[in-house]
Amino acid sequence: MSAVTVRAAARGAPARRAWKEGALGLALVLPPLMVLVFLIVLPAITAILDTLTPDPTVRGFTPALYTQLLASRIVRSDIVFTVVVTLVSVAVTFALSYPLALYLRFARGRLPAVLAVLFTIPLFVPVVIASFAMITFLVNHGVISTIFYRLGVQRFPPLVYNATGIVLTEVWASLPFAVLILGAGLQAIDGALIDGARDVGAGPLRTFGSIILPLNVTPTMIALTLLFINVFGSFTIPYLVGGNAPQMLGVTMTNYLTQYLRRSEAVTLAVMAFVISAVVGAVYVVSVSRRERGAV
Amino acid sequence: MSPTWYWSVGALRRAVGVGAFLALAAFILGPLLTLLLWACAGSWLFPSLLPEFSFKWWAYVLANADVTKAIRMSFASAPLATALSALICVPAAYAFARLRFPGRRALLLSFLSANAFPKIGLYVSIATLFYRLNLMDTFAGVVLIQMVNTLLFMIWIPTGTFRGINTNLEEAARDAGAGPLRTFFQITLPIALPGLIVAVLFAFLAAFDEAQGTLIVGTPNHITMPVMMYTLVLSYPQPVGAVFSVLLSLPSIAFLLLAQRYLRAGYLAAGYSL
Amino acid sequence: MRPARPVRVGAAVLAILLAVLLAGAGRPGPAGAQQPVTLNLYISGDTNIFDLWQKGFIPAFSKRYPQYRVNFVGLMHGNGNDGIYDKLLAAKRAGRRTDVDLWETEPGYVTQGIPEGLWLKLSPRAVPNLAKVPKDVLEAAEYYGLPYRGSSVVIGYNSQFVKTPPKTFDDVVAWIKANPGKFTYCDPNTGGSGQAFVTAAIYRYVDPARYSGKPYDVKDEAAWEQGWKMLRDLQPAMYNNGFHPNGNVAVLQLLAQQNIYMASVWSDMGLDFYTRGQLPKSMRFTQITPPLIGDDARVTLPAGSAHIGGTLVLLNWLLTPEAQNMVINMVAGYPGIDWKYMPASVREKFKDVAKGFAPYPNPKYLADIKRLWHEKVVAAQ
Repeated sequence: MSAVTVRAAARGAPARRAWKEGALGLALVLPPLMVLVFLIVLPAITAILDTLTPDPTVRGFTPALYTQLLASRIVRSDIVFTVVVTLVSVAVTFALSYPLALYLRFARGRLPAVLAVLFTIPLFVPVVIASFAMITFLVNHGVISTIFYRLGVQRFPPLVYNATGIVLTEVWASLPFAVLILGAGLQAIDGALIDGARDVGAGPLRTFGSIILPLNVTPTMIALTLLFINVFGSFTIPYLVGGNAPQMLGVTMTNYLTQYLRRSEAVTLAVMAFVISAVVGAVYVVSVSRRERGAV
Repeated sequence: MSPTWYWSVGALRRAVGVGAFLALAAFILGPLLTLLLWACAGSWLFPSLLPEFSFKWWAYVLANADVTKAIRMSFASAPLATALSALICVPAAYAFARLRFPGRRALLLSFLSANAFPKIGLYVSIATLFYRLNLMDTFAGVVLIQMVNTLLFMIWIPTGTFRGINTNLEEAARDAGAGPLRTFFQITLPIALPGLIVAVLFAFLAAFDEAQGTLIVGTPNHITMPVMMYTLVLSYPQPVGAVFSVLLSLPSIAFLLLAQRYLRAGYLAAGYSL
Repeated sequence: MRPARPVRVGAAVLAILLAVLLAGAGRPGPAGAQQPVTLNLYISGDTNIFDLWQKGFIPAFSKRYPQYRVNFVGLMHGNGNDGIYDKLLAAKRAGRRTDVDLWETEPGYVTQGIPEGLWLKLSPRAVPNLAKVPKDVLEAAEYYGLPYRGSSVVIGYNSQFVKTPPKTFDDVVAWIKANPGKFTYCDPNTGGSGQAFVTAAIYRYVDPARYSGKPYDVKDEAAWEQGWKMLRDLQPAMYNNGFHPNGNVAVLQLLAQQNIYMASVWSDMGLDFYTRGQLPKSMRFTQITPPLIGDDARVTLPAGSAHIGGTLVLLNWLLTPEAQNMVINMVAGYPGIDWKYMPASVREKFKDVAKGFAPYPNPKYLADIKRLWHEKVVAAQ
């Protein structure tokens, strides 16, 4: 129950007010919704229907394309690979961005100001360029490996063209996003609260676990959800920095479309990827709305 | 405010902390510095530690008139797409945060599909619609296709922001006789501004980075930077790719310097207070 | 994917919305009746091909036919092509003219578009110079598309490290096994130089003619098993334990950084990089016997093009000696027209390499080769 509704009820004529509020809400939401419906939802529905009717001469729906793709060992391993790479990237980004966001929020002085700018740079570098830069930096006989070579290290672990490369580049590209979203939430936390916790003897981890995290749940959830969806759906980074097999779904579906001449399979993979992302999104909305209900 | 809670826990921890930051800084800046070096390289063959410096590739790149045209197109379309998106999405976000209406949660969730549905399955349908509306190869079409990518950021982040603002202030204003519009513009909007700026920033970058849709809708006469980027960065010798990269990142970095005032601690206030 | 009625209703609503939102934005439409006519060319290829068009063909054509202006849209191999195909398909479904007047793309898209009715069938009546093109080359693509140049894949090697250049495919294989980690070919999804090595392994055990013609039968693919096994066995000896980079250029960069000493590369691109100083001085190129695959690059004319007349003039001009000499001089390519129409000096210069390449598999087999390579070679490790 929102405060507005409570107030409306207190003033009387609740039914009419609720109706007016509902109409106003829908009217305000309508314009962006129209863009979404015509450019995403309707095309998506058409696409989903197409994948369920692979043979237009046969009436009725069939999941044939889905079962056929899922029966393929390679497609299954690509799906698992995509989920694992995404989870690892999100975890690493999160583990790096939280301390950074805390530091930028609570430290004072010139260094944090400089760092704040420094860590936002990747946000402004298009992913194609980020991947290209990462390759020149990390590739065997690239900068890092040349430095090691000069120091006498002959064997150099492959850092690009594999899962490591994808994770490193994804982390590089998403770090500022996570720091900004988490930082925006941390701004709202009263410093006195944390000082109070320290005064009663709570260590840094305790303070983080029992004060900061609970107060910063919504931004944390938004950051995690958007990070997941962003990494999961990425094409450019795995295409440029990843290996030949297994591949992330974004690359797999593009190959089906552009190289294997199998358009329906490509769209089917797209639908599957969407379902996985949508589940993650739904978890976010459910958790946020549960908190909301608890808050009243 | 007193010294921070974790910053005064001893010299050792501090040294570890500084080391970690330096490593992180190297990780963030290393690839970009490499790119800068490559951009100044005539050639750079293993195992030289530094390239053989030369600026001959810059002349080669700057002779390309298409690049400047694409940069101009990008800077005309992305800000407009962001502005239009803000115009229609911020009121919607306010509604999502404050008003009760049927299907609110489902509709909010549905905006996720703008980013979660892989678009390669949608382009034929989208392009068909654009052809019917005579939007192919038009500036309006490019702006519209870029807007799609901004929706999620312009709805979700402001919704979180509005939700985080205490309703007491608004109620007080209403009780003092201010109309709903006046309350919004004089009370709610100023408090929400930092969160909205973050949303605008992400929306701008999303619009700015849109490549595949713009390629389909904008060619042959409305080509933006990202559309050219794949070609420029990947299919030329390495120094050319680097020169292009530096050239194409410069506008974004300039934008960063302009925006950093808002990004710095202190301006991002009150995003999600609960 | 036929758009249903709601789309049309929605379209109207959206149009109103847009009209309100974008009233001031203006809409510079595509060139219509204005003079001169602008032809929009969409060319996918690597940089040498871009240069051939932008610095060679287009200035010469515009000079000879000032009534036409040419707008060049460059697409990096593969990446933009799917978008352009979507665009053409959408135009067809919406019943609109398209602003793609000519498209140089991979044979796969041309094949995909034939049943959709996307292309204009060429004939010597529309393009008189077509008579100079060998018949079998035209029939291979069912007259959809004009073959205007050819090129082939060769073996590039660093003579500092490779003392005896390979003469046959088996020589290459033996060298790879003897020098693990120093050879690779690009992912066949990303470039023809990789497709060449993969098909060479397949052709090693089967008759190429069986797969280059039009007939297509999935059952015939069983004969590729030996080739797949050979490629699989080679994987541990490939660069970086079996890594295949993206695209023809990436392989050249590995050669440049001396990460590898030998690779399959496009002859024209390799020479281009070498002359620009982007490869070690000791790089050499050689063709093996039987030769690796090569192809005739085709430009295809979308049936929905708004400027068919002008594009046909351009196509006819592309087959003149003036344009064909540019192919030879600028990108070291092979002419699209029959050798007998080329000057004697050119014939003499190319007599050893002329058409010295194996045929490409037909697009359907090629698509399966790419998919099966992924399944049977790299994912099977």
